[in-house]
Amino acid sequence: MLLYVVSAVYVAYLSVKGGLGTATWNALFWIILLFAAFNALSRSFQREDQGRQLYLYTLVDPRSVVLARSLYNALTMVLLSLLSLVFYTLFLGGEVLAEADLPQFLLAVVLGGIGFAAALTLISAIAARAGNGLGLMAILGFPIVLPMLLAVLRASKLALDGVAWSVTGTYFLGLVLLDVITVTLAWLLFPYLWRD
Amino acid sequence: MKHWWWKFLAIALLLVASIAGLRVPLSPALVHVSPSRISPGEVNIEVTGYNTRFSEGMRAYLENEGQYVCPVRVEVIDATHARITAVVPAGLRASMTDLVVQGLKYPGAFFTEGLGDGIESGPCGPSTNKLDMSGLAFTFPNRSILYESIRNLHFHVPMWFTMIALMGISVWRSIQVLGNNSLDRDRQARSAVHVGLLFCALGLTTGAVWARATWGAFWTNDVKLNGAAVTALIYLAYLVLRGSIPDAHKRARLAAIYNIFAFVLLVMFLFVVPRLNAIDSLHPGNGGNSGFNDLDLDNRLRVIFYPAVAGWILLGIWLYDLRHRSLRINEHLDR
Amino acid sequence: MRTAFTLALLILHILPAAAQAPTWLEDQLYGGGKLNAVIAVVSIILLGIGIWLWAQDRRLKRMEKAIEKKTM
Repeated sequence: MLLYVVSAVYVAYLSVKGGLGTATWNALFWIILLFAAFNALSRSFQREDQGRQLYLYTLVDPRSVVLARSLYNALTMVLLSLLSLVFYTLFLGGEVLAEADLPQFLLAVVLGGIGFAAALTLISAIAARAGNGLGLMAILGFPIVLPMLLAVLRASKLALDGVAWSVTGTYFLGLVLLDVITVTLAWLLFPYLWRD
Repeated sequence: MKHWWWKFLAIALLLVASIAGLRVPLSPALVHVSPSRISPGEVNIEVTGYNTRFSEGMRAYLENEGQYVCPVRVEVIDATHARITAVVPAGLRASMTDLVVQGLKYPGAFFTEGLGDGIESGPCGPSTNKLDMSGLAFTFPNRSILYESIRNLHFHVPMWFTMIALMGISVWRSIQVLGNNSLDRDRQARSAVHVGLLFCALGLTTGAVWARATWGAFWTNDVKLNGAAVTALIYLAYLVLRGSIPDAHKRARLAAIYNIFAFVLLVMFLFVVPRLNAIDSLHPGNGGNSGFNDLDLDNRLRVIFYPAVAGWILLGIWLYDLRHRSLRINEHLDR
Repeated sequence: MRTAFTLALLILHILPAAAQAPTWLEDQLYGGGKLNAVIAVVSIILLGIGIWLWAQDRRLKRMEKAIEKKTM
């Protein structure tokens, strides 16, 4: 996964010679992250065969499984986002970050990562159950993640512009709300996926 | 008569709302004034009105920051055209001067360079007696840029209301599917999505036409438009998901889960996030744009708009009912 | 599935923002105090519902044929 991010960043570095505006810098970063998320999370349910999963669900409550999965995926995503941020600034320059509100930007990255992870965990479970692999995952996941992507793009753009907390507060509140609702929905709906 | 009264109601509401939506006249307004800049001295002003009734001896004056310039001569050509001659004194206080004819204001009609500290205000300010609006008692607001296309409010916007209502029905059915694994409920959920997508397509096309007429582009990067695009993508994905699962019961359950998940996030995106963020939007009611409240001072749009919405929703439910019933018959035949 | 693809095609057809209208279209839309925009919108709605009804009609016809086959 890290390899994917590094190569994506490197491709971006090769194709974008010269400086990037704040808006483009931000957009490119999130696009790389989005595809990384799809790549990383589509595997989360596909790697195991049905038998092993059924066995797992007789042992423990499916709700704890989805919570654990979401948590694990969220951690992976957060780690991945932070690492890709490091690589991204290394390759594409961090001048943009100079006047940014760094804690705010990091918060946006973390919240965005959690949101992507929570939404895509359930979607990848649905895609895996439908027995159709990556193609379905992209079709189902993209429209769900798009609103989240737009919200997070806006929040991180404001953070990069160094806007005060009093202004961005509601944006982050919205992001947290989105994350909480996504996780709750996944937690509520997941058990129905495994009822045959 | 017992069970289908609402179908009559749908037709009646649509009839009333459509006829009123198309027939109610726009309130009179001044739409064109030339020249657009004035300087001290005599000036000939051509005024074009819309739905106006210019008549001999009508009141007309120029207003510059509370100070008035009276015309020398008002020449009425016909009900919507007039020529006004006025002598503009030197020393206007503000650079923008309004023109008022028959109590109708054309704000910022003229631009003036070389300002002074005021003029001697003429004796022709706003009339104290009420405007004569007989025969045009019930009118829609006449807004620049929109003009007659304000009527689209009664046709374009109900499409989205109907779509949301149908998707809501679909989610309700999906929740029932999770409860009792009923294939009948699943069929209802699917039918509602089908008809909802029809209204989504209608909303998108009519929106594109109206947007071209008002904003000059078929598509703008606007929250509402993004929301519409996301909605279309979500429900197309829903249909793709359904198409890829052969087993009926499994399909019903997976589709229901996706439907509920997507709908809740969609509602969040469409209604909650824009309100939290106050994102800029060209659409009324967002980001400093005037909504219903400013546009519709005396509820005349609303009186027609709400019946229109109700009528279209009922029609949508009717179409959904037809679709569901024909699907059910089809499945019986296949058996 | 088929409906989905048709709809996707339709929507993709509408989406391109860059597509600028030719001037004749502009003139048409702006005509009559922009009343033509209203006429266009109403026609689109009626046409859309008409097409839907036509598709539904075809479905019913297919079913009728199936019934005939079964009863024969």
